[in-house]
Amino acid sequence: MKYVILIHANPDPWGHPTSHYNPEGRALPPELHEEMDRQFEALLGEISASGEFVTAEALADPASATLYGWSPEGHLATDGPYAEAKEQLAGFFIIDCDSRQRAEQIAARFAHPGGVVELRPVMWPGGDDQ
Amino acid sequence: MTSAGLEDVWRRCAPHVLAALMRRSGDFDAAENAVQEALLAAARQWPTEGMPDNPRGWLITVASRRLVDQWRAELARTNREQLIARHTPPEAFLAPAADTVVGGERDDSLTLLLLCCHPALTRPSQVALTLRAVAGLSTAQIARAFLVPEATMAQRISRAKTRLRQVGARFTVPAAEQLPDRVAAVAHVLYLIFTEGHTATTGTGLTDTSLANEAIRLTRQLHEHLPAAAEVSGLLALMLLTHARRAARTRPDGSLVPLAEQDRSLWDRALIGEGVHLIEAALPTGPVGPYQLQASIAAIHAEAPRAADTDWTQIEILYRMLHALTPGPVVTLNHAVAVAKVDGPTAALAMLEPLLQDRQLRRLHRLHAVHAHLLEIDGRVEEARAAYATAARVATSIPEQRYLNTKAAQLAPA
Repeated sequence: MKYVILIHANPDPWGHPTSHYNPEGRALPPELHEEMDRQFEALLGEISASGEFVTAEALADPASATLYGWSPEGHLATDGPYAEAKEQLAGFFIIDCDSRQRAEQIAARFAHPGGVVELRPVMWPGGDDQ
Repeated sequence: MTSAGLEDVWRRCAPHVLAALMRRSGDFDAAENAVQEALLAAARQWPTEGMPDNPRGWLITVASRRLVDQWRAELARTNREQLIARHTPPEAFLAPAADTVVGGERDDSLTLLLLCCHPALTRPSQVALTLRAVAGLSTAQIARAFLVPEATMAQRISRAKTRLRQVGARFTVPAAEQLPDRVAAVAHVLYLIFTEGHTATTGTGLTDTSLANEAIRLTRQLHEHLPAAAEVSGLLALMLLTHARRAARTRPDGSLVPLAEQDRSLWDRALIGEGVHLIEAALPTGPVGPYQLQASIAAIHAEAPRAADTDWTQIEILYRMLHALTPGPVVTLNHAVAVAKVDGPTAALAMLEPLLQDRQLRRLHRLHAVHAHLLEIDGRVEEARAAYATAARVATSIPEQRYLNTKAAQLAPA
């Protein structure tokens, strides 16, 4: 089963990892950041070795976005950021796990200062006839 | 010869050729490289010179030669001739000519299957390695079938091979006392491959094949190796009886047709006949396992001319036995459906109560789908509508979600 882990955050200035660029993260001592970075590297190593890691991307500044609205007359393009979003999408990971429980275990370890991590199942085109 | 014809021959020979090479080298990567080179040579020569009488022997011979070439290159590079020579039987340095038939062509494809499903590997790795090494699919084909990037699948396969090397896995048949567990792991891997193929309604991107067909082909091989293993017969029967429904399980628009509503004239009678025969032969022979029980249930469905003719009393007993062997929420749900048919919805709804209290299980769309179905036959229309809506909300399959939303809409007050 595939899941997407969405990283929502508002780093200022925009940068990755986001917890280095927001007030909550800046308030923490460097040793704690180093420890969190180490744990995150270990997590990535673990899910790569297990074959659960599928893909991941860090996203550019929301100000670099272009937004498209649709109307019967055609589309309308405006410059980002997407103002409706309270917290911007900073990046995503796709994982492929045996169970929801395992996906939850992995996603919980993505929690970081000043951001929200969202775990969502990915829809698939198949199904059972029972 | 066409490339499709070549691929067909290759896929039939692949596990035997790789197994023969593994017996000589014991190193997965070295054996696989040599086999790939032999295939390239075949792709160059066979279309112009014609296919050899014994393609498998030809491939084994050419691949063995490549393996010897690899060893020689290795020897020259590392300059450790004496060290390695002591570990290599002298005849291994002498590859026979390609036109001589290799004598005593032992069939090691079962050993290869057992190695790919080695207990040191995770299930997804076992699945990937089996499809690569035994089914002879390309990494790109496997990646497409599992909807992951090719790089992810390549990584999974290469890590699996590294892990086998790390744990010192040997290319030998396991000891007799370990064999039942090892065969059970192989059966589970083949079952997972089948389920992955069976539940996919859109093209898997494989050329003229599918994971369900691959799983059936490999399970047939396993059954030929172990004709007395009742659970292997049960697994093959289960696959055939389930696969027999494939033409009836989707509409042209891709939407799903539930078992009870399927056009049974579309079911494949030949596969059903074979499946029923297999399970009838296996059942009296030994301890009854979960695959035999599931195959028996599938056989009862298959033998009912209309959904209304289904022998639910038998099915209810079989699910009770399955629950005793392998309890779990999915078995309970299927059992509850059978209980509803035999004793009515009240008894079945009571079975679901503990499941509905469980936070993890509440995410299972099938729990709510069965709940909704039972409420509907109990005449509790509004509760049924709400349960169908809940099931649709937690469903992660697009056609199932569409089906559940339609059911909820049908029960909505006009």
